[in-house]
Amino acid sequence: MNKEHKQAVLGLTLVIPSFLLLLVVVVVPIIQSFLESLQSEAGGYDLSRYAYLFTDKGMRANIRFTLEITVISCVLVLLVSYSLAIYMRFSSGRLVDWIRKTYLIPLFIPGVIATYGLMNLFGNHGWLSRWLALAGWEMPWVIFAAKGIVLANLWFNIPFATMLLSSALAGIPSSVLESAKDVGAGKLMIFARILFPLSYKTFLVALTFVFMGVIGSFTAPFLVGPNSPQMLGVAMEQVFGVFREQEQAAAIAVFTFLLCSALGVFYIRSMAKEEAERR
Amino acid sequence: MFHWKKGFTLLSAALLSVSLLTGCGNGTNASGASTSPASDPSASTQASSAADGQSAEFQFYFTGSQNVKDLWDTLIPMFEKEHPTIKVKPVYIPSGTGAQPTYDRILAAKQAGKGSGDIDLYEDGITYVTAGGKDDVWEKLSPDSIPNLANISAATMNDVQSLAIPYRSSAVVLAYNSERVSNPPGTLDDLFNWIRANPGRFAYNDPATGGSGSSFVTTVLYKDLPADAIHNSDPAIMSKWDSGFKILKDLGPSVYGKGIYPKKNQGTLDLLANGEVDIIPAWSDMVLQQLSQNLLPSSTKLKQITPGFNGGPTYLMVNKQSEKKEAIYEFLNFVLSPAAQEVIVNKMNGFPGIELSHMPQEVQSKFAGVSEGFRTFNIGDLGKEINKRWQSDVAAQ
Repeated sequence: MNKEHKQAVLGLTLVIPSFLLLLVVVVVPIIQSFLESLQSEAGGYDLSRYAYLFTDKGMRANIRFTLEITVISCVLVLLVSYSLAIYMRFSSGRLVDWIRKTYLIPLFIPGVIATYGLMNLFGNHGWLSRWLALAGWEMPWVIFAAKGIVLANLWFNIPFATMLLSSALAGIPSSVLESAKDVGAGKLMIFARILFPLSYKTFLVALTFVFMGVIGSFTAPFLVGPNSPQMLGVAMEQVFGVFREQEQAAAIAVFTFLLCSALGVFYIRSMAKEEAERR
Repeated sequence: MFHWKKGFTLLSAALLSVSLLTGCGNGTNASGASTSPASDPSASTQASSAADGQSAEFQFYFTGSQNVKDLWDTLIPMFEKEHPTIKVKPVYIPSGTGAQPTYDRILAAKQAGKGSGDIDLYEDGITYVTAGGKDDVWEKLSPDSIPNLANISAATMNDVQSLAIPYRSSAVVLAYNSERVSNPPGTLDDLFNWIRANPGRFAYNDPATGGSGSSFVTTVLYKDLPADAIHNSDPAIMSKWDSGFKILKDLGPSVYGKGIYPKKNQGTLDLLANGEVDIIPAWSDMVLQQLSQNLLPSSTKLKQITPGFNGGPTYLMVNKQSEKKEAIYEFLNFVLSPAAQEVIVNKMNGFPGIELSHMPQEVQSKFAGVSEGFRTFNIGDLGKEINKRWQSDVAAQ
């Protein structure tokens, strides 16, 4: 065996464990649910389950609602995370120290508990509304509405996105920023021309994580979301567990997977482009 | 040239893939082993020896919340103390994790000719009683073999063709804040009027997520239908739901949050507890238990309307293929005895499965005003259709 062959065997051996795992827990279930979603009510194979997704009024509303919530959550999470990360990168003092020490805490609080906490805080008779009532203000309805889901998503996703972005920003050498300042670049210019391009890759990673996390979320939308329209995760559970229509649930699952893979393709392509440029 | 580092990496990768594969292999082996004793010859000898007064052991699968497990953890030792020759082996399936697979196992064992599949006695709701009736897997029960069965009303047993024992139940009632509601509604129409007169002060939960909301919805749908319609699982009746759904839709703007239906039975109880609403439909056992734990304000009171909301019995079913029926009957006879039923009342705040007249006076008075007039709905798969239509007609209005 020559060296090249040895290398190839070594490579394959290293890949096999993760490949097997992926095959068993990801690839096979996807194929199974795809096949299941093609079964029509009459027993044959066609696209009727997918047609239902786009013809049923309630389902259409669910899809639109899910996309809205996901886009709004992604924008807000990344805005807040970027600001936080930049603030932590360039400021010092006691407040920043405290933020640095505490901003990861939400990651360690289980989802159900955090959701109940949010309900207690923002609920119609929650703490916030009681404090506001002292000042004579009335609290708008947040829980059991889209706003509640967005709030929960902010809570769940900001810490991780901030962590990713601040590590990216920490990798940008101060000398670059200082020389930019010396030639008269403003704050906005520094962000647009230096900070953002240099952390773009991490930004994409963070966006992918937030998008996937939000679009497939269940606990928060189930507990604080409205009864209708529902997010796709909740609708999927209802169709599967309550209406007991496995095939329809499989169709929703495959559709959600397609939505996620659209972003996945975009992510992989821009990564590949960057790799190619580097060579 | 052979690098040590590379060699180790290679070795660990190989080990990892091997362990992954054997991991899967072990899994199938283990599950194979756990089901095989059904066909094990020793199992059948054990069963036949039960008749000789020797020891017998049977497997009892049950599902539910923690309170159900607590109940059996109390009842089974009581029974074994009285009957030292019979051992009950309980297998607890937490609710929502495996009821369907348990039933599938029973059915698969029957179809494969493997006897009981090692599941002799099973506890679950009406869905599986009906399913098992269709698939002919449940044994028909009679007071000849289980004397205490006579304590259950004959009509209730007829509802399930004697294929299952409704050994305990719980009814949906109105739970209300007596400080704000002095004169609670007594009929469904009174309740509708009250809801319209007090907008935002009534809530029921999403019927797909909990029995109390589901009971409210079903009761409204069957309000103007003939009395025996609640025992009818013929889909033809679905066209008669229209007026009920219209009422529910019209009530939407008057319920909590102008059409918010919280998730789960606990969702509405939370609203009652923090004073956001004044009347909710709720399971009697949940209210009584939370009252005793001070989770609900002591001003909370219960009232059943007439005609009543449905009560939901929980059933015990005997696997027709089981070879240990005598031991199981002995156990079921014990479960239906007043002593065991008292445990259900005290521990779970559930209604006894046997008729109240067989229970001590204090139990009878505990359920005064609550246990009267609850109705048992047996509409089979139609419940699923109700949830579906509720989602599109009422929630998405």
